[in-house]
Amino acid sequence: MSVTAVSPVEVEDVEDVPEEDRLWVTIVWNDPINLMSYVTYVFRKLFGYSETKATKLMLDVHHKGRATVTSGTREEMEAAAERLHTYGLWATIAQD
Amino acid sequence: MIGVTSRWLRVVGWLPVPSGPPAGARRRLAAWRRRIMAWQMTTTLGRRRVNGFRRTSAGIELRLPQLESTLLTELLEQVEGLLQPPPVDDPLEALVGLRDTAPPPPEDPAVARLLPDPYPDDPMASGDYRRRRTDDALARRRDAARRVLAAVPAPGTVLVLDDESAQDWLTVLNDLRLVLGTRLGLTDDESTEELDRLVPDDPRAPVAAVYNFLTELLDELTRTML
Repeated sequence: MSVTAVSPVEVEDVEDVPEEDRLWVTIVWNDPINLMSYVTYVFRKLFGYSETKATKLMLDVHHKGRATVTSGTREEMEAAAERLHTYGLWATIAQD
Repeated sequence: MIGVTSRWLRVVGWLPVPSGPPAGARRRLAAWRRRIMAWQMTTTLGRRRVNGFRRTSAGIELRLPQLESTLLTELLEQVEGLLQPPPVDDPLEALVGLRDTAPPPPEDPAVARLLPDPYPDDPMASGDYRRRRTDDALARRRDAARRVLAAVPAPGTVLVLDDESAQDWLTVLNDLRLVLGTRLGLTDDESTEELDRLVPDDPRAPVAAVYNFLTELLDELTRTML
């Protein structure tokens, strides 16, 4: 998996964080239909990412089969997945 | 030529194997039609580079020749049928226009591809999401497809896109590719490469040509927007 999440300065013990407080993430999965140029464009458009970051995420999806593209609350991630679906990308959400 | 297209190329509902062989003459005629269309599509579609999307000072312009213009119109008319909301079973819910129970996951793999499940490991959350979001998601796609359908430029005319309509064209062209790609059985990179090696006689060849045309068009539009 690609590491796009924040790197915490203090190393927290994940087990200590109550489940409801753990972040949710949106994951985009590779598929043989969506175009590389298009996927890069969608990441830039929806998340305001730089060309470099969007391209890196697109290549992660392409080579590793999936990439975490954003994180936040469950509601935010559901909305992000829905917007990705509108653009035809295969997105799921999960608790980190 | 265009008449032939309309009569047999129901590509959105297209299946690789015909359900039953038509008898004698009809079968030979159908085979010839398919060959002619396959030839036209594989030799003509997307080859005329004066057409397509182009960024100018006025915005993004689109020009389409006759075959491409007609094809897009037909595809968009057909795809609307796929985007209908699933029925509401409860008569009271149907009456008030609300959905209290989750519709089942889409049976048609092409529709399922347009509506991915954001909670694949959580059937409860997944059902609840379908109940809340399916109708909206389909309505949004139908509306975008209708707007694009109404805007498809006739041959010899130019369509100028603003930012908003460019988003419609992006998502709608991609929806068509997802539907056709699913019908063509594109499940991995290997099956996608196989598309380029289809012989003209292959029943998938015309659909593959349409798919490749849409791919080129979408790639072109995306590049004008980067």
